[in-house]
Amino acid sequence: MRKLVLLAGLLPVLAHADTFYLTIAGLGGEADYEQRFQAQAKEIEKLVGASGKVTTLLGAEAKKARIEEAATEIAGKAQASDTFVLTLIGHGTFDTNTYKFNIPGPDITAAELAAVCNKIPATKQLVVNMTSASGASLAALQKPRRVVITATKSGTEKNATVFGRYWVEALRDPGADADKNESVSALEAFRYAERKTTEFYDTQKRLATEHAVIEDTGKGEGVKAPSAANGQGIAASSLAVLRMGAVQQAASDPAKRKLIAQREDLEEQIDKLKYEKAAIPSDQYRKQLQSLLLQLAKVQEELDK
Amino acid sequence: MKRLFAVFLAFAAISCGQTKPAPIVEGRSPAEDCWTNRKHGQADAAKSCFDKLTRSADAYLRAEGFWGLGQFNDANGAFKEALARNDKSIRTRVRWGRFFLERYNTNDAGKLFEEALELDEKNAPALLGAALVGAEGFDAKAVEFADKAIASDPKLVEAQELKAHLALEDMNTAKAVEEADKAIAMSEDALDAMAIRATVELLADRSPQPWLDRMAKVNPKYSEGYARIAHHLVINRRYEDGIDYYRKAIVMDPANDAARSELGVNLMRIGQEAEARTLLEKAYENGWRDNPTVNTLRLMDSYKNFVTIEGTKSIVKLHKKEADLLKLYIPAELERAIATYEKKYKITLSGKVQVEVYPDHEDFAVRTMGMPGLGALGVTFGNVVAMDSPSGRPPAQFHWASTMWHELSHVFVLGATKHRVPRWFTEGLAVHEETAAAPDWGDRMSPPIIEAVHAKKLLPIAELDRGFIRPNYPNQVIVSYFQGGKICDYINERWGYQKLLDMMNDFAGNHPTVEVIERQLKMKPEEFDTAFLAWLDKNVGAQVNAFADWQKRMKALNGVVKDGGETDVIVTEAEALAKLFPDYVEKGSPYEIAANAYEKKGDKVKARKTLEAWANQGGREPGLIRKLADLQDEAGMQKEAAASLERLNMIYPVHDGAMHVHLGQLYTKLGNSRGAIREYEAVLAENPIDGATAHYELAKAYLGVGERGKAESNLVDALESAPGFKPAQKLLLEMNSGKKENP
Repeated sequence: MRKLVLLAGLLPVLAHADTFYLTIAGLGGEADYEQRFQAQAKEIEKLVGASGKVTTLLGAEAKKARIEEAATEIAGKAQASDTFVLTLIGHGTFDTNTYKFNIPGPDITAAELAAVCNKIPATKQLVVNMTSASGASLAALQKPRRVVITATKSGTEKNATVFGRYWVEALRDPGADADKNESVSALEAFRYAERKTTEFYDTQKRLATEHAVIEDTGKGEGVKAPSAANGQGIAASSLAVLRMGAVQQAASDPAKRKLIAQREDLEEQIDKLKYEKAAIPSDQYRKQLQSLLLQLAKVQEELDK
Repeated sequence: MKRLFAVFLAFAAISCGQTKPAPIVEGRSPAEDCWTNRKHGQADAAKSCFDKLTRSADAYLRAEGFWGLGQFNDANGAFKEALARNDKSIRTRVRWGRFFLERYNTNDAGKLFEEALELDEKNAPALLGAALVGAEGFDAKAVEFADKAIASDPKLVEAQELKAHLALEDMNTAKAVEEADKAIAMSEDALDAMAIRATVELLADRSPQPWLDRMAKVNPKYSEGYARIAHHLVINRRYEDGIDYYRKAIVMDPANDAARSELGVNLMRIGQEAEARTLLEKAYENGWRDNPTVNTLRLMDSYKNFVTIEGTKSIVKLHKKEADLLKLYIPAELERAIATYEKKYKITLSGKVQVEVYPDHEDFAVRTMGMPGLGALGVTFGNVVAMDSPSGRPPAQFHWASTMWHELSHVFVLGATKHRVPRWFTEGLAVHEETAAAPDWGDRMSPPIIEAVHAKKLLPIAELDRGFIRPNYPNQVIVSYFQGGKICDYINERWGYQKLLDMMNDFAGNHPTVEVIERQLKMKPEEFDTAFLAWLDKNVGAQVNAFADWQKRMKALNGVVKDGGETDVIVTEAEALAKLFPDYVEKGSPYEIAANAYEKKGDKVKARKTLEAWANQGGREPGLIRKLADLQDEAGMQKEAAASLERLNMIYPVHDGAMHVHLGQLYTKLGNSRGAIREYEAVLAENPIDGATAHYELAKAYLGVGERGKAESNLVDALESAPGFKPAQKLLLEMNSGKKENP
């Protein structure tokens, strides 16, 4: 079990499954917000287009019936091995009881959104709720193997958020791929957007009116900083939101297969060593790490020939 | 109980409630005898007198008694009771207000004096109280109220003494002497007036002893008088001398915790933290908990969060959370500034300069508490400089390097003149030095300054000091900084820089401005004023005169931009407005509008040139500077792009990893490995999201200067966070195959 957990953060997806994206831009109210939300939705569509199958609902299209219809269409195509990403852009409300995402016609509640996601057989799911008061939707949406990211930590953070702007930036900026595995995971995108949001308020010397959180165990509270200590982040680190560059295919050449196995083994050893870092003298750690990294580099060099 | 006072009630005819009832006249209070005993140093008699009052049936008298005995909670309670029993009592309000004032609660004091004045707007003690409240905040109203108090009661000695005190704070020595002498003529025990006279002598480097002897005849241990002397010495930046007199005040009266606290605060100012802490803690334990005491102690507690970086001639204190980043820029710039000034001023500093950089503006504000008209960004106490960190302000609000050079100028000038230099000159020279260091540094002429110049509000040079202490109008302090700077620019231009040094050395002899102007510039101050204003008019007159028109046209232009008007129209008008008021480089300036319009037209060359003009004029907006650098880089002007971003490092190097990455890339292209190293270290100092790339680039830069060990270490760091990072893997293999010496 631990082996699987340790590998989760390192391995690019070898057996290529599909990713289905459903992006919804809700009601803006004012022209400025309307324009902003739609622009973000279109930008996401452009950025993830090459990574999977994208459905974007804007303006009058973003009604409850159409959302449910889109989910049914995706459900008809998706397999258990696929990934589903739901992104909500706009305004949310919370009346101390119920979270609602503002859309044309009757608003859609968190429970209804959860039902939409539950329809879809993809085992790996990500919900990114970038709306105001989105923290109140987390409890209804959370489920094992579903990563839920909300722009606010609770329903009382009611101001319009800036998190969405930085989430889109995370999908655009190659720097968001912190581990350089040519894909941006949900965890990497969350860390990027959360960090940038915090910096926005810091540099402007404004009181932060939003605090993004992530939850990916299906049973915990959302956290700002996922780690081994709070048990969050593992599922998010292995869910690719965006793939860049060439997707690595499992090779049919036996020599390459052997090299891939060697690489995986070395990556696992590196991960294990990093996990045990605190318990090893620093010099020894660095020496062991460097040796493993050198071996890994040689294997990769062979693979790339 | 024998009634010691009689209360006379006079009622005016009241017609339909249109006239106020005549004020209640309250006679002399027996408490006055107790306070007189105290003032004359008769401690036992005073104690016995106050003690007797605490047993009075009259709550007001009990309040005075408790106050005199230092039982402050009981005093407060008794005042409250007294007012509840007689809510028309002006005296109770005034005395309660004076109690609050002594216990550093100016808010409640001010309210009580206001209430008293509503009952009787001519009540002299209430007017005096209001004046004292104003004096705490260096408010111009203090003088107004003091004058009214004297007008209402020409025999109110304390008001007369206050006038002397205020005049001295305003650097008006002649008036201070005049007012003090009036007070002394009124009363033999005008001890505070004598303290003012003693201070005048000290400030002129003459012996204060005759006046100290006179004070001693009335009260050989008049601690408050010595504290007053110390206060004025500190206001005049004579910190060591002020410290000396605070020490004397405490020796005279070990219970004078106000003086103890001030001594601690001032020792802290000159870097003597250990003793400062002991004194402040003692004052605190004794119950003296005013804002300076509490906040200074809190600030000292926070010093455990600071790291110290020592250079050849400098000590820089940076907060842990930003030390890794700022240590890359501030110490080097400080050493450069010191070296420059040592040459310019022909002075070698005796000790190291200590610069404290505060990311939390409130901590910086603690350092300036109680000092009027000081810079809002930086302050100098001898060899110690305290300043805001660039991270302590929104981007572009201040230029940290320019501020540091400004404050460092004070270190040299105050040292060279043993703190005898007048305020206007040291501030003016410091402002001059900012643009001497780089023409695009320093503050531009802002609208409040233009308005002051236009309204002919600049002060004569002989009175310019006053503009820094007790402003007569909002913004007078910043106008005075501007004026001081322009005066030094003018002197430099007409007589040369050496003349400024000659004046500085002349001020070291403690000569007044009038004398130094006449001796060094060979003209009367009035002639100087005329010549200076004519020069200023030639320099800025056009901008000043066009300002009203500029404002109208800017408003119109913003409207056109908002409505999506024609780009050519926008560009033409924006360029015209930039020429009309070139100093306006703030957010939304005509330069910015023109550059945006050019970009929209697709004319990147003109957009770049417009932003270059804006930057040369002193524009500081980080977003625009980065845009300029991008345009320059795109045009193949890497050196210029690097220079633009280097400029940004001097303004706002924080929270901008992307800027440091860009500058690092430029330096790599330009073959400046040391520059690249610094920039990638800056990237890493901010704990970037993409640490792997930063470590990798840093590794390459270290290879560029032949530091293999550091290169390899950074490569391992890059791969630790991104084991599959191919460029880093490749470099690691190359280094280990022995092929790689330089990338």
